[in-house]
Amino acid sequence: MHEITITSGRNLPHIDPWLTIWGWEIPVYLFLGGLVSGILFISAVFYLRGRADRYPTIVRVGPLFAPVLLAVGLLALFLDLEYKLHVFRFYTAIRLESPMSWGSWTLAAIFPLSTLWALIHLKYVLPNWRWPWPIIEKLIDFFSGYSRAIAWLLIIYASLLGMYTGILLSAFNARPFWNTAILGPLFLVSGLSTGVAMIMLLSRDEAERHLLAHIDIFAIAVELFLIIHLFMGFLASTQIHIEAAKLFLGGPYTTEFWVFVVGLGLVLPGLMELLEVRGKILPTRIPAILVLAGGLLLRFIVLEAGQFSQWTF
Amino acid sequence: MESESQKYWSPYAAGVALGLILLLTFVLMGRGLGASGAMMRTVTWAVDTVSPAHVDSNPYFSKYAGGDKNPLSNWLVFEVIGVFFGGLLSGMLAKRMRLQVEHGPRITDKGRLVLALTGGAIMGFGARLALGCTSGQALTGGATMAVGSWIFMLTMFAAAFGVAWLFRKQWI
Repeated sequence: MHEITITSGRNLPHIDPWLTIWGWEIPVYLFLGGLVSGILFISAVFYLRGRADRYPTIVRVGPLFAPVLLAVGLLALFLDLEYKLHVFRFYTAIRLESPMSWGSWTLAAIFPLSTLWALIHLKYVLPNWRWPWPIIEKLIDFFSGYSRAIAWLLIIYASLLGMYTGILLSAFNARPFWNTAILGPLFLVSGLSTGVAMIMLLSRDEAERHLLAHIDIFAIAVELFLIIHLFMGFLASTQIHIEAAKLFLGGPYTTEFWVFVVGLGLVLPGLMELLEVRGKILPTRIPAILVLAGGLLLRFIVLEAGQFSQWTF
Repeated sequence: MESESQKYWSPYAAGVALGLILLLTFVLMGRGLGASGAMMRTVTWAVDTVSPAHVDSNPYFSKYAGGDKNPLSNWLVFEVIGVFFGGLLSGMLAKRMRLQVEHGPRITDKGRLVLALTGGAIMGFGARLALGCTSGQALTGGATMAVGSWIFMLTMFAAAFGVAWLFRKQWI
């Protein structure tokens, strides 16, 4: 039995003694949002570089999953809403100072864009596929003419989506562990890494998987750099932030974070990919699975630790 | 066959390395190696998840779980996770990693798995009675020159030698 006495006179369920407002829905959404941003970003980049035929899984197959995964993520986000019928209110205002407003407008743009992008590439992946209504064929053909413009828009919106998943948390200054500008770039790079891992699972072409492994090694190195800076930043800040960092440096999240997220989710898959591109080990799907599991766990831990960290120690 | 066996370490080199690892775990973690303890803690955790009341009322389980105690928060659990991934990486580096069931010519995959599971269960039960398994008792306890651990090791090998005769046809 764990008894907690609150003597402040405040009676705020889910806020005292620490925040317990966000459950599984938000980390699942943040993970899927990052994953989709990574898939769309590299698909658009390699499309613009004219590599669609050489790297078909990156450019054409990966994006087929993007709208589906994003829809699942958005469903999770919707389930989290307290007043579900009020969701339309996000689209009655543009508030530049609110990351949620940025996020909802980004989602309003990227969801149809990703669907369009998937439809454009569907005919290359499944050549025998026929739509029952000719109007759809005509619409897809019409938008195919603007593929390059759509790819550029995807690069912009995928970056915004990946970045916003971190900024959504870091803008919430009332929680010391989220109160850092590093979360935006960290989630962006982690999203890229998980997106690359997802395409690695789908790809059957050795050259393509080699390229993906190279990209992933780079992304993992940047992630490790950002994680180190995250903690250096906290430790050089106020006592409140030092306490927040201590949750991971001897506190309750130490083992989960350093063993599972950093060790098994970044260092080990990075090492395996490095050995793989050098031909020391045979290629397997194991590093990709580890990266995906690590990415999901990172968001769960960051979300929980952020809610746990507070100003009133 | 020759090239296959060259992919494995020399057992003498591996033995020395294992001894050094054991020394290192004493220095770094203050505890030796073990294996069955991790299994026991995983089972305790599973029981605690399904029926916490049973764990609290059971004198054996309640030593490891119940209340605020997390049975998985233990060095052995993480050591075994490390052993798994270390073995995986070693198999990958030797390029001999594939899914297979190793068995003698006279027994099917299924038969081998049933025998292995039965043997493992008996071993696990015995390990809890003896307060440790081959690694916890023989390796770690033996390294500290504990008399009980040496008796355990000698008895275990003697018993295994006798029982192996009954099952020899599964392998030849």
